[in-house]
Amino acid sequence: MSAEMANEIKLISGRSHPELSEKVAKRLGIEVARTISLNYSNQETSFTVGESVRDEDVFIVQSTITGDVNEGLMELLIMISACRTASARRITAVIPNFPYARQDKKDKSRAPISARLVANMLQTAGANHIVTVDLHASQIQGFFSVPVDNLYAEPSFLRYIRENFMAEDCVIVSPDAGGAKRATSIADHLNTAFALIHKERPRPNVVGRMVLVGSVEDKVAILVDDMADTCGTLVKAAAVLKENGAKSVLALVTHGILSGNAIETLNGSVLSALVVTNTVPLGDKVQRCPKLRVIDISPTIAEAIRRTHNGESVSYLFNHAPV
Amino acid sequence: MVRNIVVLGGNSHPALLDSVCNILGMPACNRILTKFSSGESRCEIQDSVRGKDVYIIQTGSGGNGSKLNDHFMDLCIMISACKTGSARRVTAVLPCFPYSRQPDLPYKKSGAPLFKAGSESGKKDYTFDSVPATPAPGVPRSAGFVNGTDITNRLNKTSLTNGTGSMSPVKQTNGENYFNGNGISQSVASPMPVPGNHGSYTTHDYENVSHVVAFQAKPGYKQWVAQAGTLVANLLTCAGADHVITMDLHDPQVQGFFDVPVDNLYGRPLLKRYIQSHIPNYKDAVIISPDAGGAKRATAIADGMGIEFALIHKVISLFITDRQNASMMLVGNVADRVCILIDDLADTGNTITRAAKLLKKEGATKIYALLTHGVFSGDAINRIKASAIDKLVVTNSVPQGEHKALLGPKLDVLDIAPIFGEAIRRVHHGESISVLFNYD
Repeated sequence: MSAEMANEIKLISGRSHPELSEKVAKRLGIEVARTISLNYSNQETSFTVGESVRDEDVFIVQSTITGDVNEGLMELLIMISACRTASARRITAVIPNFPYARQDKKDKSRAPISARLVANMLQTAGANHIVTVDLHASQIQGFFSVPVDNLYAEPSFLRYIRENFMAEDCVIVSPDAGGAKRATSIADHLNTAFALIHKERPRPNVVGRMVLVGSVEDKVAILVDDMADTCGTLVKAAAVLKENGAKSVLALVTHGILSGNAIETLNGSVLSALVVTNTVPLGDKVQRCPKLRVIDISPTIAEAIRRTHNGESVSYLFNHAPV
Repeated sequence: MVRNIVVLGGNSHPALLDSVCNILGMPACNRILTKFSSGESRCEIQDSVRGKDVYIIQTGSGGNGSKLNDHFMDLCIMISACKTGSARRVTAVLPCFPYSRQPDLPYKKSGAPLFKAGSESGKKDYTFDSVPATPAPGVPRSAGFVNGTDITNRLNKTSLTNGTGSMSPVKQTNGENYFNGNGISQSVASPMPVPGNHGSYTTHDYENVSHVVAFQAKPGYKQWVAQAGTLVANLLTCAGADHVITMDLHDPQVQGFFDVPVDNLYGRPLLKRYIQSHIPNYKDAVIISPDAGGAKRATAIADGMGIEFALIHKVISLFITDRQNASMMLVGNVADRVCILIDDLADTGNTITRAAKLLKKEGATKIYALLTHGVFSGDAINRIKASAIDKLVVTNSVPQGEHKALLGPKLDVLDIAPIFGEAIRRVHHGESISVLFNYD
């Protein structure tokens, strides 16, 4: 084996999102490494590497499967640990949708900070580097003592808006106070108006009363958020925007988790479209929901992997989406 | 009544939690442990744990609506929640330790793995010999007993099956289709299984057989199988466990994977007591180890009780490279004797049922099988039902309710709650627990 081949990218795919891994691999012009993950009948996860990773630069792509997060997480940990014991030079966990990102603070007595636990577990397993997209709270990076590259879907969203709408017709709306920063950043880039919806949340997965701050009259209201889970918030927010005179309402969301009755909720809503990236596997949801549009995030992830491998700066990707 | 102690339970084994709490004379800690609709675990501990000695009981098995990995993650999250909730010490109590067995992929001499096809047809129809054969043209259905009669054929004519479908669990045609079919998926990664939709398959035959067969390591590379034991140990300590209590680790070396104290309790005293009280003339019985690996466990009991010992040995001949169908050889004499099979864990039940078959053939009158952990995954229960085992005895380190309902009087369950209750009490008070290792 020649010297320049000694340290190459080994892209390993978990079972959660093989389509994304394939796209990333295609973009990088390589093949997904030969591995196989299985569950024994006693439900323990088994992982086998079918080619040498010794001294290679290993990237493990694993997203979260809606409804089955723990299975994917354990598989990822086992994959990392297997590559570590197989003498990989560096292991980068590519986790487009970081699991447990919302459990990032002790909001009640004895509430677990599961995001930190996941961070610790990844490092314990042997991850040297993390690549993720739109962390729910960027502070999660502080849970790690290894580098975390938090990529943004924002450049992709900006392109989508520019290609499909006239910026002056739009109002960017944040569906909650927490997402205001994300939304204002997009509004600033497009030089458009901005509005905010204030909501009360009595219990998790239940949405309370909503109040609009700002004007959306006769405009295309674009809701921006980092994740769409049960879609209760988005749909209620869309209704509020419609009531306040918005011409049409669409939503741009990075992670389309779409759990529970999300699809039914969306189909019955006033939202004209929900645009998500493919950080989370969507399965048949695109067929079941005509309002769902998907932006491919794999070019951004592939470019981040290429740059990381070559030791180039990744910050270019924070403002630009590779075509 | 024990003070300053909190016993917290996961969802894997509520019955054991209740009995342990009863023995300790205190209620279990209130907690919410469910799943968000996104699939993430939700854990809230409702009683104060500040400055307390916390014991978290979670066994390493799937069930109760969640999978093994869910239970394990729940455990880590609970440990972490107690730690951040200022618990003085957190002890993880895992009656059955997950990932304690190192994977044993059968290897050919060339280094390539021998995967077997699952029995696609007749999933409800089992004989105790229902090990799916490697689907190859011309492989006899039961390659195992080279010198014995093939009972499978005879059993096919009995009423063991439920009347529908094919009688034989492994159809030769399956194997044929397999190799002739062009539709074998070449993709290396398959989608995750749908939660709760685990079909029946046995340990060494995997869910998606087609992609398993299609999987080939790169030429010249002997594939690397993940060994999750160390990882699990590290994850528990990383979550914040200060102490681990478990029982009959498959490999005692797992204890060495931890940097924190591990108390490995023994189920042996329970099994011994069962032999003494439930097996008539046990002094004339023979203790059998179903494989060479368990010889030490079995001899420990045999020596302790002054009973004779025999061992079953798998002969892996040059011609039969298939480990599951390797011919078995009995070392020792069991003719006209009562046999007591001793093992630490039965998962698919392959080993013990095959051992029982051999023992019957060698003239054993009655066969008891005593195990610590009865995981019984896949088609194990049906296999055991149809096997030559007369009595199966397991502890409730894994919930046995379902198994008991299916196996009825064939299964006896021993309660480990007193051992764990006493271990927790002693650990809490800083007393020695070594007495638990040896009491008879």
